[in-house]
Amino acid sequence: MPLIPTVPLLLALLAAPLALLAGAWRPHWAAPVSASLAAATFAALLWGWWNGGGSLDLAWAPAWGLRLHFSLDGLAALYALLASGVGCLVLIYSASYLPAHLHHDGRSQKEAPRFFFFLLLFMGAMVGLVMAQDLLLIFLFWDITAIASYYLIGYDRETADARTSALMALLVTGISSVLFLIGAFILAEAYGSFSMPVLLEQATAGPMLTTATLLIAIAALAKSAQAPLHFWLPRAMAAPTPVSAYLHSAAMVAAGVFLLGRFYPLIALSPVTQNLLLAIGILSMALGGFLALSRGVMKQILAYSTIAQYGYVVFMLGIGGKVALQAAAFYVLAHALCKSGLFLTAGAVTEATHKKELAELGGLRGEMPWLAFGSGVLAAGLAALPLTIGFFKDELFFKAAYEHGPRYVAAALLGTVLTLVYIWRFWSGIFLGKKGADVEHRSLLLTLPVLLLALPVLIGGLWPGLFTPLAGAAAGVMYGESLDLHVAYHFAATPENLLALSTYALGALLIVGQRFWAGPAARLAAPIVRYGPEQWYHGSLAWLNRLSQRANAFDIRDLRWRMATILVAMALLLGLSMLLVPPAQTWQFALPALSDLPMVLALGLSLFAALLVLPVRNMFTLVLALSTVGYGLAAVYAFLGSPDVALVAVLVETVLTLLMLGALVLFPDDLFSFSSPLPNKPSLRWRNPLIALAGGLGMFGLSWSLLGSEPAAESVADRYLELAEAAHAGDVVTAILADFRGLDTMGEISVIVLALLAVTSLLQWRRSNS
Amino acid sequence: MTAMIRTMAQFLLLPILIVSAAILVKGYADTGDGFSAGVVVSTAVLLQYMAYGYKHSARIWPVKYAPQLAFSGLLIALLASFQSLLRGEAFFSHVPAPDAEVIKLGSLELHTAVLFDLGVFCVVVGFMVHLMSLIAQASWGEDRGQDSGTRDQESVVMGDRER
Repeated sequence: MPLIPTVPLLLALLAAPLALLAGAWRPHWAAPVSASLAAATFAALLWGWWNGGGSLDLAWAPAWGLRLHFSLDGLAALYALLASGVGCLVLIYSASYLPAHLHHDGRSQKEAPRFFFFLLLFMGAMVGLVMAQDLLLIFLFWDITAIASYYLIGYDRETADARTSALMALLVTGISSVLFLIGAFILAEAYGSFSMPVLLEQATAGPMLTTATLLIAIAALAKSAQAPLHFWLPRAMAAPTPVSAYLHSAAMVAAGVFLLGRFYPLIALSPVTQNLLLAIGILSMALGGFLALSRGVMKQILAYSTIAQYGYVVFMLGIGGKVALQAAAFYVLAHALCKSGLFLTAGAVTEATHKKELAELGGLRGEMPWLAFGSGVLAAGLAALPLTIGFFKDELFFKAAYEHGPRYVAAALLGTVLTLVYIWRFWSGIFLGKKGADVEHRSLLLTLPVLLLALPVLIGGLWPGLFTPLAGAAAGVMYGESLDLHVAYHFAATPENLLALSTYALGALLIVGQRFWAGPAARLAAPIVRYGPEQWYHGSLAWLNRLSQRANAFDIRDLRWRMATILVAMALLLGLSMLLVPPAQTWQFALPALSDLPMVLALGLSLFAALLVLPVRNMFTLVLALSTVGYGLAAVYAFLGSPDVALVAVLVETVLTLLMLGALVLFPDDLFSFSSPLPNKPSLRWRNPLIALAGGLGMFGLSWSLLGSEPAAESVADRYLELAEAAHAGDVVTAILADFRGLDTMGEISVIVLALLAVTSLLQWRRSNS
Repeated sequence: MTAMIRTMAQFLLLPILIVSAAILVKGYADTGDGFSAGVVVSTAVLLQYMAYGYKHSARIWPVKYAPQLAFSGLLIALLASFQSLLRGEAFFSHVPAPDAEVIKLGSLELHTAVLFDLGVFCVVVGFMVHLMSLIAQASWGEDRGQDSGTRDQESVVMGDRER
């Protein structure tokens, strides 16, 4: 196995269970162990990328063209390094934040390992996602991120707000992931493979490709919280701050943009999808930027800012071409560093002052100088001031927009000016101005990650060459051929420099004139937030709830109705199938030969026992009658010469009868006496016999038409018999169960174990309620 | 009646277990497989339950670990079927490969398919035994006193709720 993608991948995937084990052993070990595992993953990824990447390709089910195919290419390296690097810093931060958070909410410290487990699970899924080269693997990891995010956002499970928000994030990103799956199946159907490299080679423009890329793009846009599916992100701020810092800057929302990047060569073939990205990008940039201007809670500003910033990236992908792709990749890198640090700042300030609203804060620069400095650098990075890495992200952004046309330059300028203004409002609202809330306690571990994130932002501003290879390689994967990315300061009147200067000038103007627009902006924003797409979500959720309750009431309330729906539906479907596909041969009637007499007697016994079920009113006799039916059939199998089936039938029948008798004790007493009167309305009197008759006739017709048909000339059974000896089996039935059709058996025993869980919880629930 | 069932349970325990072991070991060469063997073992447990009551049987049998047995059975089956991925072959490619040499211990052949069958056996035993103990626990609970197991057992089997 090649070392390069295997070692980082295994580290990333094993981190979560290892942290859980460490936490189960010593709860306070969970944090340091998790942080070191994330750091190890980061180091392994860096080492792997430094040595040129690599790929791992294992057969999974080659007959279906499924392979476990992972590769560490430029795109994977960019996102995986961000996920593990930012993840490591967030874990260091959590080591200090989480105990205080749990203490504050009056919860046990034993809940901490759960947090680290899900954070690392998310990191592992993210690393797996970006390396996966197979559509189904991508889907698998994509859904693991959604599940992990559900538990992380809903970590404060006692609060209703956290639960609703977690469910909202899960539903919006989870339902849209089904669209991705449909798109993946369309691609696999059209081009005959689930493998990404094969698809990229074979895909040609056409309506199939457009449909598939549109579906995939919608899933990706929902994950990246782009308008109009953005509403889950501001809600998800109910999560603990480290979760927001991680999921909503470098990981979960980045996954959406990553997916667009992974499929970019296909998207580029479809102008419709490309235009959709352009439109959604501009819409999200404008909407997110505008709403961020008037939010009062720190984390809400950052949430809307994230929507806007990923809008930039989607906009760049919509423009397409060499420069825009480089800009997109560099933007993701710079933004993730700045935004995660700013989220951590918000958390550190809230932890120190117990305040969340900007209005209650202010003037903290003296008391928290290091935090003010670190977050100042990060804010400057996001606002694209010179000497930070952010300057170059906007330079590339302007360059791409300028190449595309003046309308896009205007959109870009709008976005950057809004960013500058709301980020100034955020930072100055906390650290400058009148003194707000008092600082109660400070923690070094809460400030350190912010400074550690500010460091690369500053270094990137002075020496961008350190980061450009990573972004360049990622852009190269999207573009389809390797690209060289160079950025540097140019002291000349280039369009990019002029646009940057206009951003600063317009931004400064808006900041100075804040009191003129602040009121109207807030008034305009209120109805957008209140009547936005979130209302559609709530409306459709309520409607689905009603629908499910109605179906439930129809199905569950009355056991007879449930049986009736199953039996009648079965009879109808069977009758329909026999009408549409009439049996090939004529129906045969023949009297059994004398040698078949024992079998006929056994069948007669079953028939008699089955008829006995009708008049019997006593549950105990009923169970015995039913098991007699089973024993009779087991005897028939024995006469037919299938000892394996007969053995299993006898054993199952024995144990089932005994368990059924045992279970009868659990039923309420009056059930057995039939003392509760049946609804014997005349109109209903014939209903049940008729339904039973219909179901029985359907089954009878099916059995007869199947058993009465001529055996096929060539059957899989012959093949099994031939192969059994080579497969070291004397008994072909066992060989079928454990070898030839082993996957079926695997599925069945998994169901058995699941059933065990269900029965356990049901019976123990009953006990704890009695 | 109770005395007879107890004597029978004592006499039959060993033969039942031997039969089940035979079914399991011979499964790949002759009639029977892990599933049947598992069900046979669980009938032996069931007989103990009926003869001695839940409380007593829970002590003499590793009933407590039945769920763990089911889960480890699933793990064994997963290992037996997915080991081939590590060798770069499709899953459920058993070792030794078809037509290759197999180590034989009597009729037992050392083969990963047999290991898989063992996993199925553990799942079935774990499932059945735990299910029985759950039903037993739920139906006569812990509040009915120590030695009432036998009476309650009989009432289950004989169906004293007949009216």
